[in-house]
Parts: sequence; C-alpha cells; structure tokens
Amino acid sequence: MITRGQKTLLICVAILLVAPFVVVFGVSVGASKTISFPPDALSAQWYNTLFTEPDWLAAIGRSLLIAAIAALISVTIALAANYVLWRRQSGFSKLVFALGLGPFLLPPIILALGASIFWAEFGWYGRMEATIISHGVFFVTLPLVILARGFAALTEEVIEAAQMMGATQAQVFRTVILPLIAPYLITGFALVAIISVNEYLIANMISGFVVETLPIKIFNNVRYGYSPVVASASMLFVGITVTVLLVLARLTDLVSLLGASKES
Amino acid sequence: MISERAGTTAISTVTFIVLAVFFVVPLALMIIVSFYKSDPMAFYEVAFVWDNYAKFFSSFYYTVSVRSLYTAVLGAVVVVAITFPTVLAISELSRRWQLFWIILLLSLMCLSEVIIGFAWLILMSESVGLPRFLEWIGLWTNPRSLSPSFGAMLIGLVYLGFSIVALILYPQAARRDRSIEEAALTLGTPPMLVFFKVVLPAFRTSLISVTLTMFVYLLGVFVMPTMLGRPKDWTMTVIISDKALGDANLPLGAALAVIMLIVTALVLLVSVLATRRAEP
Repeated sequence: MITRGQKTLLICVAILLVAPFVVVFGVSVGASKTISFPPDALSAQWYNTLFTEPDWLAAIGRSLLIAAIAALISVTIALAANYVLWRRQSGFSKLVFALGLGPFLLPPIILALGASIFWAEFGWYGRMEATIISHGVFFVTLPLVILARGFAALTEEVIEAAQMMGATQAQVFRTVILPLIAPYLITGFALVAIISVNEYLIANMISGFVVETLPIKIFNNVRYGYSPVVASASMLFVGITVTVLLVLARLTDLVSLLGASKES
Repeated sequence: MISERAGTTAISTVTFIVLAVFFVVPLALMIIVSFYKSDPMAFYEVAFVWDNYAKFFSSFYYTVSVRSLYTAVLGAVVVVAITFPTVLAISELSRRWQLFWIILLLSLMCLSEVIIGFAWLILMSESVGLPRFLEWIGLWTNPRSLSPSFGAMLIGLVYLGFSIVALILYPQAARRDRSIEEAALTLGTPPMLVFFKVVLPAFRTSLISVTLTMFVYLLGVFVMPTMLGRPKDWTMTVIISDKALGDANLPLGAALAVIMLIVTALVLLVSVLATRRAEP
C-alpha cells in the first residue's frame, strides 16, 4: 500500500539521483568545446576521442585489468574464508572472517595511507601489482558477506547424500558446493570489479603518479583544465556499471541476494 | 578425517596470512611511521618522537578536526533523514519496481566519487545546470556558479551516502512486520503519526547504527571536498593526503591518520554497544 505522498517522494528522489547524469550525458554528446546544456548541436566527437586517443585507451585498459585481477583475488579470499568457516566453526576461522570485515569499516584514507607506506617499504611503490593486490584485499568484505549468504543456503542433506555416494571432499566441493554458490560468486566478482574500476583514492595513493587509472585521469583532467572528453569518459563508466548490474539482475535474484525476501 | 582437518587448517592459515600481511601490517606500519621524524629528502627518518602528534594540537588542526566532525555529523544525519522515508516507500512498490530501485542504488553505490563529483560540478556550474535553470524560470536574475561552497560539498556527500544507507536499510524495511502499521492505519491513525509512533521506534537501533556508519564513511571522503568545496571546507582526509603526497611529510600524515583511526574505532565501539543494549 503506497500513499500519494510516498509516490511524490520517490519521484523527486529519482529525479535528483538521475539529474546530474542527464546533464553529463548532454555535455558528452554536445558539439561545443565549452560546456553547454542543452547541447546546441549533437556530435560523437568526444566519444571518438575517448576511444582513439592512446592516453585514454591506456587508462581504460589499465583500469579493466586491475579490476579483473583484483576481483579474482577478492573472491578467492572470500571463498576460502567462507568455506573453512562453513566446514568447521573454529575460533580461528571466525577470526579470519572477522578480519575480512575490517577494511569496510575503516575510512579509505587510512587504508590508502597504510598501503602506500607498506608498498614503499616493500619496494613496489608505484607498481600496478601493488594497486591490484591492495584492491583485492581491501574490497574482500562484499564478496565475503555475499558468499556467507550462499553457504548459509546450502543444506546439509545434499552434502551428506554426496558423501554417502562416496564422493571425496574435493569432489563434493567441485560438483555440489561450487555450482550451488556460483550465483553468489558471480555477484561478488562483479561488485568488486566495478568498485575497483571506480576507485580513486587508494589507487592514487599507491601508484597514481605512474599508473594512471580512468578515475585518476578524470580527476586530474577536472582539476587541471577541463575537456568534454571527461563527460564522455564518465558516461562510459555509467554505461559499464549499469550494464554489469543489469546482466547480474538477469543471472541472479538480486533482491533476495541482498536479503530482502522473507524466506532468506 | 585427519587430512581433511589439516586441509581446512591450511586454507585458514593461508587466508589469514594474506589478510594479515596486506591489511594489518600496513596499518601497523602506519602507526610505526607516525612516530618517525619527517625528512623532506627521503620519506622519513627512523626515530621515536611525539612531534607529529604534538602538531595535531595546534590551532590549524583543531579547526580542521572540528570542521571534519561537524561536516560528517551533519552529512550523516541529513542522509539518514532523507533515505529512511524513501526506503520505506521503495519497500511498498511492486517487486519489479523494487528491482529497478536496487539496480539504480547499486549503480550509484559503485560509481566513482570522481564521476559523481564531476556530474555535480557541471550541474552547479554557471553556464549550465541549476543556476541557468533558476534564471530561466525567473527565480534568479544574475546566476553565479553554486560551487565550490560548503553547500555544494554537503550535497555531494549526501548524494554519495544515499545509496549506501538505502542498501543497508532496505532488507529490514522490505522484511518488516507490517501488521501493527496496518492495524493503526485501519483504525484511522494519520500516516504521519503511524510513522513516528510505530515505524520509527521499530527501526531505532538500525537507524542509530547506520548513522554512525555514515559518520565514519563521510569522515573519509576525499573527492567531494576537493572538487566541490573551498579550501576552507577541506576535511581531515584531504589534509592527510595533502601532507603525505603533497608535502612528502609521511610521518605527520600517518599521525593524523592514526588519530582518525582512533576516532573511528571509538565510534564503532559505541555503535556495537548501542546495538547490543537495544537487543534484549
């Protein structure tokens, strides 16, 4: 039962949430070099620049590479922590799980500064591998929590049945557990990947002066001279993020993955 | 059976080592460096001094701290006050529209601060966006750019926090027991009164804890103050990054970060205690 007041509220909030991107979209398809909205004439030149200039292409490539490997690291750690906790509720496995919740609770500036000191000491300051590992470890919390839901949904009967049929531990994991938690794995992977693609502060403090990712390039562009390419790059981001989430919504039941349905 | 135990212990240990090395060790190093002496030529000089912490108690950092706390508290309260009624409204929608909102919220949560900051920068600039729109409808005769300003920064922070708070509160809102609300409404209680007397008390604990989470989150936001705020609106996060990267004074940056870590830990502790006491 939704009241008229609630409907008005939702419409107002939706407009406010979407408005900034409508304007950015308008700027990105405008022909003029200075920002203008609504655009006087339409042009795809800023998208053209984005996809042909080596500088921008390199930044896009770097960001995607970092995101893919970081997401893999994150999901692997989250899977290991959850699997062990599910097999055996020992104090140690609980500690590992709790440790994984830590990065989410701290302001990113603290993580970023700690990581930059760590990598400086380690000798990898300014290297892409450093950004990848730090992203992978710092963003572990989301897949950790999402996978925990997946393991909670596993029923003992299925596992016991498999074991009675003579399956080994590894076989049970591969043929029973993995397929059942696959949607949760995919969701965790996708979320870490998009968060990593979008992340600025940690990437900048670890290796921003050498490894220029897309957000770093956009930030520098906005700060030191503006070009409408930034608008088209921003829309590329919005495009990637929304597409990934829409695909995810098709593959899995996002609403209940977030814990909203009464059954879970 | 023994090999299986050994297997899980091995996985546990490896996971623990990875998290410890790349998450705990950096924090520990940061604490150690905060006692080092700053050296403009290298990153730092090994020492054990309290100088970096002593600097914190100067008037400049006092002002920055008070401003950061004020900004984060104000931002957190505004975010939760706007988000909560919105989430309740979302939970009344059909499943299809709820999915639409979840995808919208998840997109916003994942989107870069840089992009959101840039979008608002354009929306509030003089030549396009809000000022021009207000001129067009005749409300503002001589429009100026709305950013950088404290208000612009606050709008940016609230926008950033909105999706996160909404996604945290949504599950509980969607699953809540509506029977008392509906009974009250059927008996003719005005919806406003139902909201304040029935719904709000049921959510008190989660609202307190989500406000504290938001406070910690907003304390650490970097891009919004730099993009939408004036230098005099800059929060501690900007100053830390400025000291560490700009002035190459890592020990001072580390000391400021340690202080922020302590404040964060205290707030989280209060949050846990508040949640615990509320649950019988």
